[in-house]
Amino acid sequence: MTEEDIDEGINNYEASDRFSDAEKTALRYSEYMASDLDKIDEAFYDDLKKYYTSEEIVELGTYIGINIGFHTFFGTLDFYPMFAPDGRLVSQEESKLIYGTTPVSHTEGAMDRARELAPDTAAE
Amino acid sequence: MAYIDPAPAKNLEKPKIKAYMALAEDLGIADKQFFEVLAHAPNYAEALFNAMRQAYENGGVDVRLKEAIRIQLARLAGDKYFALLRSKKAMKAGLTEDLIEAACGDFENEPLFTTAHKWAFRYGYLMYREPAKVDKAFYDEGKAHFSEAQIMELGNYMTINYGMQVFIRTLNLTPQN
Repeated sequence: MTEEDIDEGINNYEASDRFSDAEKTALRYSEYMASDLDKIDEAFYDDLKKYYTSEEIVELGTYIGINIGFHTFFGTLDFYPMFAPDGRLVSQEESKLIYGTTPVSHTEGAMDRARELAPDTAAE
Repeated sequence: MAYIDPAPAKNLEKPKIKAYMALAEDLGIADKQFFEVLAHAPNYAEALFNAMRQAYENGGVDVRLKEAIRIQLARLAGDKYFALLRSKKAMKAGLTEDLIEAACGDFENEPLFTTAHKWAFRYGYLMYREPAKVDKAFYDEGKAHFSEAQIMELGNYMTINYGMQVFIRTLNLTPQN
């Protein structure tokens, strides 16, 4: 999986040719669970069952639900990843500079900022 | 009727699932239906129930307050299953249906609640309705009433419960009793 796959999965999965129908249904499940619960009805589950077993649906549903819960909580705590996109351990201040204060794509500047802020690069 | 058929009997007969099912009913925090769905993925059922149980049973925050917040969140999520269940421990400790209604309604003007209670109910409401309002100033206000450990307990408790509630809501589950 690449950062481009992640961006496409968030921003353009319905029209994308990177994802199968099964994957699009799972991405739709996640989107609706986060923002439009009424759209997840019996017909939606019937659609999910075309591609996934009951075990997989329960795995997906609980995984998505718990992630919605935690991401919302963590978002209120104003803390940032301990690692830059290149894997370097960074301070909270540096991480905030790299990633910004709102969740955005890694391809929209975070990787460039990480390179700019890396000690080796700064010394050159 | 739930949108997913009950898990196979062999999953529901697993010793740990059976033990958790009995414990859940004793505690009043889930019933057979929850396991009939979750036990499609037995490892998930065990891990999630254990997390829920620990969040209910342990910690330094009044169990009555946590139970009222759990029901407040279930109503926010539109989840009738968890909204209708009651923790026996919380009810035995003095939580009443009147207090639950007050927590889910105009809690800011409820004279029975302390300033600390009102902050905690606001925390639950804002977290999943207006999270941008849960900022440094909001946490600073909370620290006047709760320790950091208690605030983390509340935050994690809310995330586990709300996360399960949004999923269960979509499955059209209703408590059996």
